[in-house]
Amino acid sequence: MNRIRRLSLAFAVAGVLGVAAPAAASAVSTVTISGATASYPLVSLLAQKYVKLFPKKVKFKITQGGAQIGVNDVAAGRVSIGDVSRDPLAADPAGLVFYPIAKYGICVITNKSNPVPNLTQAQVISIFTGKTRSWAGLPGATASGTIDLISRTSVAGVLTNFQTLLLEGKKVSTIAAEEPSEGLMRAKVESDPNSIGFVSNYQSDKGTVNAVGLNGVACNKASITSGQYAGIARFYEVTKGKATGAASAFIGWIEKSAAAKKIIDTQWLSI
Amino acid sequence: MSTVAPWTPPASGPPMKRGRGRQSSPLSWRWGDRLALGFAWFAGIGLCVIAAAIVGYMGYRGIQYLRPSLLVQRPALSTTQSGSGGFLDPLIGTALLTVIGVLLAVPLAIGGAIWIAEYGRPTWLARVVESSIEMVAGTPDIVIALFGLSIFQLGIFAPFSFKAAGGGVFGKSFIAAGAMMSLIALPPLFTATRDGLQAVPMHMREAAFALGKTRIATIRRVLLPSVRSNIATGVTLGISRIIGDTAIIVLLLGETLRLDSQGSVPGIGLLRGTGSTLTSYVYGNSPAGEGAAPQKAYAAAFVLLLFVLGLNLIVDRIGRSSADATGMTVAGGIV
Amino acid sequence: MLERLRNPWPDHRAERTLGAVSLLVCALVVAMVVFVGIHAWPIFEHNGLSWLGSGGDLGRQLAEMQNTTQHPPPSAYHLRAWPVVYGTLLTTGVAVVLALALSVFSSIFIVELAPARLRRIAIPVIRLLASVPSVIYGLIGILVLVPFVGNHVISGAEKESVQNVVLLTGAGLSVTVVILTVMIAPIMVALICEALVSVPNSWREGAIALGVNPVRAMLAVTLRAARPAIVAAVVLATARALGEAIMISMVSGSRAFSPKPVDGLVFFFEPLRTLASGIVDYHEGIGAPALGSALYAWALLLLFSAFVLSIAGYLIKLPLRKFQVRG
Repeated sequence: MNRIRRLSLAFAVAGVLGVAAPAAASAVSTVTISGATASYPLVSLLAQKYVKLFPKKVKFKITQGGAQIGVNDVAAGRVSIGDVSRDPLAADPAGLVFYPIAKYGICVITNKSNPVPNLTQAQVISIFTGKTRSWAGLPGATASGTIDLISRTSVAGVLTNFQTLLLEGKKVSTIAAEEPSEGLMRAKVESDPNSIGFVSNYQSDKGTVNAVGLNGVACNKASITSGQYAGIARFYEVTKGKATGAASAFIGWIEKSAAAKKIIDTQWLSI
Repeated sequence: MSTVAPWTPPASGPPMKRGRGRQSSPLSWRWGDRLALGFAWFAGIGLCVIAAAIVGYMGYRGIQYLRPSLLVQRPALSTTQSGSGGFLDPLIGTALLTVIGVLLAVPLAIGGAIWIAEYGRPTWLARVVESSIEMVAGTPDIVIALFGLSIFQLGIFAPFSFKAAGGGVFGKSFIAAGAMMSLIALPPLFTATRDGLQAVPMHMREAAFALGKTRIATIRRVLLPSVRSNIATGVTLGISRIIGDTAIIVLLLGETLRLDSQGSVPGIGLLRGTGSTLTSYVYGNSPAGEGAAPQKAYAAAFVLLLFVLGLNLIVDRIGRSSADATGMTVAGGIV
Repeated sequence: MLERLRNPWPDHRAERTLGAVSLLVCALVVAMVVFVGIHAWPIFEHNGLSWLGSGGDLGRQLAEMQNTTQHPPPSAYHLRAWPVVYGTLLTTGVAVVLALALSVFSSIFIVELAPARLRRIAIPVIRLLASVPSVIYGLIGILVLVPFVGNHVISGAEKESVQNVVLLTGAGLSVTVVILTVMIAPIMVALICEALVSVPNSWREGAIALGVNPVRAMLAVTLRAARPAIVAAVVLATARALGEAIMISMVSGSRAFSPKPVDGLVFFFEPLRTLASGIVDYHEGIGAPALGSALYAWALLLLFSAFVLSIAGYLIKLPLRKFQVRG
């Protein structure tokens, strides 16, 4: 029975420490971030660099789930910063402040074995709204049979922007399969020869999928930098009210420092 | 049952010898019976083949992809399989959650089992407690996970995770997940202990009372030691439930690949922090998750399967060494 | 002092403490119902019970819920969740029926027909099958079965036949049901085997002595006597199947789509979503009040079914005790 008594002692100590812990924790502040899967790679890189430059000052907890989740979480006070990959909407909760941090392109992608070089915007609209259902007759398509339409879940900011920028505000057909993240969308298109989808240029620049040109302009870093490509959108860091404390310092650093600009310009475009 | 029966009383455990009706050959049977015979062979062998196929396939993939270095490397976020590291953190996470879950479940389950078996008054209350535990047993883990989320996001439970800048409570941590894991481990532990206590012959208690021991002393010095193997079985079953659970991890452990402690107090910070386990690692690295490193998923799943196999063997061992005394049965090992 | 340490508890205090510990379990169950209920309430407030019905596109409704944050207007709570309810009933129903047939016959095999050596292997093997974590089943499903069905079983013509309605990838009803069956059959086998063994041997021997062949005796006498155990096994397996979340989320195709039997063979390949797998799929968006409420409403429905099943299980166990079978 000695054993049981010793255990309960351990519990008591744990209890006291548990209460004491929050007071001690204030030395390093934690910046929590949630939101867009598209800007997740960029924000992770920036956060890593930031921690390296200012060690022991701040810690990051970054999760991804979708732009809308970032908006919800930051509005509810669950995170310090929301990552958002779409422009502010009228429906967004009041009091959110959007800080643009980078620009990115939205590319239509197909499987490597089906290297469609180019589509007109009308064709893109027809495909993604479910009017065109077969690869037969599309110029450059080597796949045959049904088009496997891949879209993103409704929380995706890239989906919202894709619909406003490339589909003239029309909605992607409900036939489409819905992937919960950019990475999974790319993986799906990589593995399915009949598929078509859309991702931010960071994913398509990896070269594992075929990026389809739009109206004769290729979708890659060069055409996005030059501004020729039509589907260019922005990443935002969003805070509830004006950013304060550690979050404000981090956002300020992204906006101003040369180190951050360098990271952004590797794959994305600084503002 | 009956008093005239010369046959061996029905006992659980390995089936006793049965006489087969050798006097008739299946060829002379009715079609329906022959069909049933065939289907019984088909189903029985089929089930064994499926089990063998699963274990064999996982073993093949495991040996193909599992490298000892994976067990000691920390995982990393990467888009390539080679860059994604090993699964040291998930292993630690699984161990940590198991410890928390069992530590929380043991007093609840054993206390409850003793009360039911040794006191159990008023009767209606005992029945309520027993059905509560049955309800916990029947509740899907995903519902328990949602329940945990709603609890640990309450303001007063902020010390168990952390408060975000906006004032919301994160609600996901090892403590939160571990507390809900204890609910998963509770029913098998409770059932095993209760059944053990109920199977202890009455004369053992009477002897202890006759020696002047109080009720609680009898429980502590006589009954609990005699049901040690039942408790061990229960704990083992609870552990195998905990290490196999994914839904609670996905919702309540914060989905960070590495152990990410919260606050600066070592130990407590880890418990308040987030992390991953083998199950969430497998889930995350399957095509359903973000990592998309199926080779790593196979390797981790193989390790997980080895754990489950080991726990099964332990249950078997304990069951066999005390089968006669306690009446542990096939179903006791599963349900 | 030392005496007090060595024997700290007088009897009545021990009883009260242990009773309190037991009541804690009851309190947890009550808390579970209350908390899940509170979070689910807005859905019931705005939809009544008609959220269980069909109407509109569930995917769009959930998207709406996700896109209205903080203080959603009443219209955001509009929910008609029939596709997920139907998906749950369909997968659970089919899997339980298949698993029942499989497990009854394999129990007969194990208890009656199998050579002693095979029987010694079969029981631990089946116990192992029951304890394999669902994520491993899901992994095998998503990496082996789904691509196989998608590439070799579904024909191009079948894909084209529904190309304007839904995408067939291989993930869907058939893979889900097959894996679910394999997952729940071992639980049933264990319970049924135990019941078959504990039916007095003489009953069956009596039947054989009357000239019935062994299989018929098994079916007509032993199996009949074990009926309560079979029902108990079905109840337990149903509970497990209803609550399976991770595996189904991995292999079901995760679409709020109702597979339609009128589609013929294609029916078996159509994607679906169940209550439990839907919670996993949408858990990241739980911060949006309306969506969170919808997920908690699904959880409440699962909780309610689990309670009904556990009451059913209790009622069934009463006659079971006659055979000294522990369920």
